[in-house]
Amino acid sequence: MIDLKVTEIKMGEEHVGKWGMVIDQDMCTGCQACVAACAMENNITFVGEKDSGYGRSMHWIRIERFWQGEYPEIKMTPNQPMMCQQCGSATCEPVCPAFATVHSQAEQLNLQVYNRCVGTRYCANNCPYQVRSFNWRDYKRPEPLANQFNPDVTVRRRGVMEKCTFCIQRIHKAEDKAKSEGREVVDGEFTTACAQACPATAITFGRVDDPESLVSQLARRHGHGVKHLEELGTLPNVTYFKGG
Amino acid sequence: MIKKLFDWLRQPLGLIAVGIAFLALFSLAAYGIHYTQQAPAQPVQFPHKTHVAFGIQCLYCHPGAARGPAAGIPAESKCWGCHNQIAKTQTSALLAPLKDSVLSGTPLQWVPVAQVPDFVQFNHRAHIAAGQNCENCHGDMSKVTVAENPQIFNMGFCLNCHKKVAGDDHVKLVKLTDCGTCHY
Repeated sequence: MIDLKVTEIKMGEEHVGKWGMVIDQDMCTGCQACVAACAMENNITFVGEKDSGYGRSMHWIRIERFWQGEYPEIKMTPNQPMMCQQCGSATCEPVCPAFATVHSQAEQLNLQVYNRCVGTRYCANNCPYQVRSFNWRDYKRPEPLANQFNPDVTVRRRGVMEKCTFCIQRIHKAEDKAKSEGREVVDGEFTTACAQACPATAITFGRVDDPESLVSQLARRHGHGVKHLEELGTLPNVTYFKGG
Repeated sequence: MIKKLFDWLRQPLGLIAVGIAFLALFSLAAYGIHYTQQAPAQPVQFPHKTHVAFGIQCLYCHPGAARGPAAGIPAESKCWGCHNQIAKTQTSALLAPLKDSVLSGTPLQWVPVAQVPDFVQFNHRAHIAAGQNCENCHGDMSKVTVAENPQIFNMGFCLNCHKKVAGDDHVKLVKLTDCGTCHY
């Protein structure tokens, strides 16, 4: 018998993050464009065939697929893009001995500070979404690809944990641009690489604390959004819809 | 075996050998520290103080500082804009690399001096917009010849200023001391 008391207390907690995402699984075709776009935007290395076989492949976003039923009568469930849920009460944060994964008070995101990370991998083991990836080696890039690094994102070295940042470099860029023009960031002015690449517009990114933003409107319109593993009390900022 | 070695080291010749070894290590370390404090060699011995004395603004050659993250180092075409009208450019040996570069079309390979590590995302624009002057971090350029760092840009240097600027404004302090403001 599982004691659900702790869960009940956590569920009652009101939590509003700053940046959030809405993912419509009915729209997702599983084309992996978001995965490719994320890798390009965030300088994610290609681990190669051998290390991938050891389960060391690195993705900040992945498309999960599940199926129901026994073999001949298999029914696919909608594709499920899975990335860091930017939990309001993240399980990765309290376990880091080096304070490398800390909560950003300004942006309400889970940060990964690469220069602090000592590579204990405790955070990845404690993440219920399994979205963190570890740099097992310094993976070399074949020559033409070395020229496409995004200068706004750190190129991580060996022994460092990394994960989705909600494209914090784009957040900062948009905030910087808005500030230079003396205004606030407008909803839809920028978006994350995955949301930008999605041809089916399954991913929407924006301010969840702004009731007029597109993510908030979508969340209200669907009304039956699911936050994954919410019962663990992680207070995730990504909402999933399916079967609408 | 080891006892033999210690016995040999205790005799006068051995002591001299120990002394020489110690001196060699010490001077190597001293040279190493000295070496890290040197400004890198530049293709042209660019005299900042002369240009500042002529009244040229920092932003004339480094305009990126007001617009975006990187201040930029000017290409030789910008130098040539003024220098092709200066007679001395044709004769001066110090300016020969510039002349050669423009005539042959090979860019000058300036070496950046003020750099932060890869895991730091620095934005010049925000700092200029916040009213910081170039010399607050880069020192008084009217006194230096080839650019060199007046201080090491480490996190303590950044945070001291960030905390001072934020003052009692809690929202600003949270934003300016947030890890995600510079590291991502």
